[in-house]
Amino acid sequence: MNNHSHLLHPSHNGAPVILRVDRVGRTYADGSVTALNEVSLEIRRGEYVAIMGPSGSGKSTLLNLLGTLDRPTTGELYFEGHPLSQLRDLDAFRSRKIGFVFQSFYLLPTLTAVENVQIPMFETGTSPAQRVKRAYELLETVSMGHRCNHLPAQLSVGERQRVAIARALANDPPLLLADEPTGNLDSRSGNDVLNLFDELHTQRGKTLIIITHSQEVADRAERIIWIRDGSIVHSRAEALKQREAV
Amino acid sequence: MHFLDFVLRNLLRRKVRSVLTIVGVSVAIAAVVALLSITGGYERTSRSVYAGHGIDMVVVRAGVADRSSSTLDEDLGKKMQELNGVSKVSATLRDSVSFEGTSGPVPLNGWPLDSSNFDALNILAPGRYLEPDDKEAVLLGKTLASNLDKKVGDEVEIEGKNFKVVGIYESGNIIEDRKAIMSLRDLQNLMDRVSQVSQFEITLRKDLPDRTATMAALRQEIENLKDEDGTKIGLAAQASDDFVKSDNQIRLAHAMAWITSAIALIVGSIGMLNTMIVSVLERTQEIGILRAIGWRKMRIMRMILVESFTLSFTGAVFGILLAFVMIQLLAKFPAAQGAVHGGITMRTIIMAYLLSILVGLVGGGYPALRGANLPPTEALRYE
Repeated sequence: MNNHSHLLHPSHNGAPVILRVDRVGRTYADGSVTALNEVSLEIRRGEYVAIMGPSGSGKSTLLNLLGTLDRPTTGELYFEGHPLSQLRDLDAFRSRKIGFVFQSFYLLPTLTAVENVQIPMFETGTSPAQRVKRAYELLETVSMGHRCNHLPAQLSVGERQRVAIARALANDPPLLLADEPTGNLDSRSGNDVLNLFDELHTQRGKTLIIITHSQEVADRAERIIWIRDGSIVHSRAEALKQREAV
Repeated sequence: MHFLDFVLRNLLRRKVRSVLTIVGVSVAIAAVVALLSITGGYERTSRSVYAGHGIDMVVVRAGVADRSSSTLDEDLGKKMQELNGVSKVSATLRDSVSFEGTSGPVPLNGWPLDSSNFDALNILAPGRYLEPDDKEAVLLGKTLASNLDKKVGDEVEIEGKNFKVVGIYESGNIIEDRKAIMSLRDLQNLMDRVSQVSQFEITLRKDLPDRTATMAALRQEIENLKDEDGTKIGLAAQASDDFVKSDNQIRLAHAMAWITSAIALIVGSIGMLNTMIVSVLERTQEIGILRAIGWRKMRIMRMILVESFTLSFTGAVFGILLAFVMIQLLAKFPAAQGAVHGGITMRTIIMAYLLSILVGLVGGGYPALRGANLPPTEALRYE
């Protein structure tokens, strides 16, 4: 199995680049703190990529930039070849192109599962009836069809994360970004979530980028990108892993 | 799920706070509606005093601030009677006196016994109108009589002199019903204002082809009237509606009503602003999530504004109801002496709703901007 490789998985040879990061830097506090330094990488449509790195390595900053929650200080990101710095309405872009999955789920506590899933659809001109229909279908997809009308507090953590994944799929975005998606889950429900990601990747052709501390989670991806002190440190993840082990 | 559903759910999450905010807005709106209704009602009633007597124009001395201090020579009435279009001129001497047993001054009118003003009064049995050989006789308005607890045949002491109540009248007008009326002669003697009157009331002829033009011409003629040595007397003639509107007391009452309303609204708006700022701060993370999953700034703004408008609009509904109850209660309150009476007009209700929109905008505008401009990364980090 070569899924620890920095190399493109052979099945994606020739697939178009969905996201290109070109010498991107991000500094804070007027330039005195550098969170990311000249990072460049390419992610192809349909790829499953894990980003790993120790705490404070800059991986959350990178995720925020990839997810257009933040703009880089230097460099440029391209989505399907279009420079993101030239997009005026990043919110609209994000709602259609990117689905977010967070470590703490971030479901709205007053809304039921089926209502939470509808939230992103408010921005895409979906009619209320369509919203409801689609939300039920998505919950069915994540095997939560039987818990549609429960509030988050009435669900187990694993179930909550599955509702959050259904919400990320609401507007059928090509790219899913997940930040420690199994960080708050027990190993069984964590495994369920990872199986769900596999399914979204293989059967629905979603591009997946997962940020994680866990080697076990990263091993499910086709490619691992290592990041340290704001830079991509090794193109060979395995080498880095060995060095860390020493 | 509808957007409004989502917003209502947010408000219901903080029930106590939402209810308190609504109460704050209701009280502000109730104050506005009650005050405007009471002053408006007072103005309408004052106007109907003249309308009830068929009076078209009122003549006073030009430039007087307090109309009961206007002083004119009684004989001017004869000059006005001869002018074109005039059907009838009656004179009134207005004064305020203290009665034993009342707290404030009571308006007292003196009318010549042939004044058509008497026609609008309905004398309750067993009383009667004033008669030429009456000496020190007085008519009391229904409300005044009941405040003084006087019946026909009783005596009342006015400015140290005893007067006999010969009749109690009802006019259908609450201002009129709080007055006392005596003959012009008696009042002139009582107040040492011999041959003086406060104002003349003019009734136009019914068969005039163009009343507006006649009134304008008449006004000019009256205001140009000269005395024997050829100097202008200095009269002000106004249509009775304008006369009431320009009354200083009514203008003052309106001004007070608006100032008090403005204060109530400012307090209500600040309460709303406080609620909304806290509510946005509390939901910093939630707003970050909404932004991350694709909500535009505009929708965050809409969410917060719809929340504040829902609160202010609900406040307006309860405020109007509260004002209605307040007016009903005040009308029954003895100290009001019948000065307050019902009637919230459509105009006042529309005004209340417009003001509630303003309260919603003031209270929700800044929090909405603030919420919409939270950077999503900051908001997500906020725990």
